[in-house]
Amino acid sequence: MSAPATPAPVGPRKPGLRTILLFCLPILLLAGVIGVFVFTNGAGLNITPAVPVESVQFGQTILRPAEIELHLRNTSPKEIIVSQINVNEATWPYAISPSRTVPRLGSAVITLNYHWVQGEAYEITVFSSNSIPFNVSVPVATTTALASKGTLWSFTLIGIYVGIIPVALGMFWLPALKRLGPRAMMFLMAATVGLLVYLGLDATTEALEIGSTLSDAFQGTGIVGIGIAGTFLLLDAISSRQRSIGRSEAGQRMTFATMIAVGIGLHNLGEGLAIGAAYAVGAAALGTFLVVGFILQNITEGLGIIVPILRDRPKLRSLALLGLIGGGPAIAGTWIGGLVYSQPLSVLFLAIGAGAVFQVAYEIGKQMIWKDCAKRQMPLEVFGGIVTGMLILYVTGVAIK
Amino acid sequence: MDRPSQDSAPPRSSEPRQAISRRSLLKAGMGGAGLVGAAAIGVSLNPSPGADVQGPQSEHVHGRHVMPAVVGEVDHARNGFNPTELLTDFDAGKISVLPNGQTLHEYTFAALDKAIEVVPGLEFAAWTYNGRIPGPTIRVREGDRVRIKFVNGSDHEHSIHFHGIHPGNMDGVFDAASGVVGPGGSYTYEFDAEPFGLHLYHCHTPPLSKHIAKGLYGAFIIDPKEARAKADHEFIMVMSGYDVDFDGKNDFYVVNGIPFHYDYGKNPIKLRVGELVRIFLVNILEFDPINSFHLHANFFHYYPTGTSLQPNEFTDTIALMQGQRGILEFRYKHPGRYMFHAHKTEFAELGWTGVFEVEA
Repeated sequence: MSAPATPAPVGPRKPGLRTILLFCLPILLLAGVIGVFVFTNGAGLNITPAVPVESVQFGQTILRPAEIELHLRNTSPKEIIVSQINVNEATWPYAISPSRTVPRLGSAVITLNYHWVQGEAYEITVFSSNSIPFNVSVPVATTTALASKGTLWSFTLIGIYVGIIPVALGMFWLPALKRLGPRAMMFLMAATVGLLVYLGLDATTEALEIGSTLSDAFQGTGIVGIGIAGTFLLLDAISSRQRSIGRSEAGQRMTFATMIAVGIGLHNLGEGLAIGAAYAVGAAALGTFLVVGFILQNITEGLGIIVPILRDRPKLRSLALLGLIGGGPAIAGTWIGGLVYSQPLSVLFLAIGAGAVFQVAYEIGKQMIWKDCAKRQMPLEVFGGIVTGMLILYVTGVAIK
Repeated sequence: MDRPSQDSAPPRSSEPRQAISRRSLLKAGMGGAGLVGAAAIGVSLNPSPGADVQGPQSEHVHGRHVMPAVVGEVDHARNGFNPTELLTDFDAGKISVLPNGQTLHEYTFAALDKAIEVVPGLEFAAWTYNGRIPGPTIRVREGDRVRIKFVNGSDHEHSIHFHGIHPGNMDGVFDAASGVVGPGGSYTYEFDAEPFGLHLYHCHTPPLSKHIAKGLYGAFIIDPKEARAKADHEFIMVMSGYDVDFDGKNDFYVVNGIPFHYDYGKNPIKLRVGELVRIFLVNILEFDPINSFHLHANFFHYYPTGTSLQPNEFTDTIALMQGQRGILEFRYKHPGRYMFHAHKTEFAELGWTGVFEVEA
């Protein structure tokens, strides 16, 4: 090969050492600036705050007979030192592990030998060495559920009641719906979209609400954004890939149903999380009425899953699988929520659920409603369906909120 | 700590517990930062071997039931005062005789901004007279001359307002002419000591509650011309509180500057059966309307404001509002450990508590 004669190839060059160095240049400069800032004590800026900025995030509060255990994470810019603790108008002795000095983003476990009273409220103030008070409240004291065969089974039961049973019941509409004409079908699909949008909004609000209670360092809103956008785009990419593989129309519709089930499943995971955590707080709050309410609302989720496959003859096994995908995560959710509850994680799960149902709503709209509408315009069915779907959740929601 | 006022119910969560709703359920589960979550599987009941277990706790666990207490001990040397020594630290000042034959007591008081470790590990940005809380206990005799040079070494305006009988320009209230001193300035208060009794002094610069809550107060004893009966122990006890997070509510309550100092397992006050004990008790507690003193397993003679040599009450509990004070006299009949504390339980459990250890 006569290299000198060949003209240089046009197009992207492979990144050479020079390119890498050029990329590193701003980073090196940045390091220099940071260095100047750190070693000159703010490069002329007086940045020492009047009062140290301190914040902590409390994790689980575990109540055992005659014992309260607090889990604390330091979310302030610097280390904090735990000094004293007041429990309901009394300074109380405590033990802290691993140390009173908690580094930034480090955590500590505080144990108080305290004879708390079943069902009563406790306000605990942890003072840092800089006299900053951090409050934890126990609204209703009761022994925290610990992982055991018994508690796991009750969590599982709750998951079955609020997740699997309603979704499965909803799917029993399949034979009836098969008799419907194209207009009614369009109406149902639109209603499914309405349901999903409503669930998505609900989960988003919930995620933002809990996210706003997190310490600044956890950036709750950021977690919500990442969760929703990430899940939406990931599911979108997966479904595009599925389509491009080129399957039969029926196969594609089954894929749809699966996608809906996944979206609803992720949503139910978030719901299970909340229920599990609440159950762990005090089973009292979870009344029969509430469980009935969940069944009522979630039955519509089962309906949503089967709508895309009404024209087909799905196997019983596939249907069971769909039900499990849609309802099963509620069980996992109750386990996680009840046993290893973490607020930042809940925000993420809720956001993932929201992103998932939004994506599925978008997908149904794009792939099924618009396609069918291209054949025959049915604007009223679409309008009526979406509004009805949202109204169903609104009305059933009234019963349980 | 959010402490409710005297008549309100204990703090409650904003979520009513009977509301069975999905939203409240979700909130109960996920809402406020330290709601009861759940246990991680395998979390051990006891702190791990390397855990930073503090003294009092382990002692309580093995000995007796756990009582309210702080964890650790404050660094008295760094604070510059020790409540055990404050108990008997009566200051007569520099004594001399004036040409007219009157005894003169001269003092120098400095207002100082100072971080004080009020409970172990927690520093309170205090304002002090001479770097201690309470300030020095002035003790003179009725009719003596008292001269106090006040130097303001603080960043804020301060004064000394004495309870007693004196001219208006010695009252420390309105302006520089009556003893309000700016940073770096000074003023000399001078007056005859009257009437005999137990009094107090404190800063009277507005906002008054802030200047008192920050630590500017102390006791002022004027002994009667004819001395009281000789006591085996005379103790000064100044009751106050600390609002360490500046929310207008006390987080800790205290006698003589350091909460829980005289408590069991800490520095109880040692007595012997039959000894006559005289306590000069002053209440300067800010924010809360009433403080109190209760003596266990005993009764005391009570001399309100100490202005009479005859007790007017034989009791075991007295109530004092801010500025009220009185003298207590008692002897212990039986050996043992006896608590003394505010009979507002909450104050006691937040630091205003102590123990007399009485030996045979």
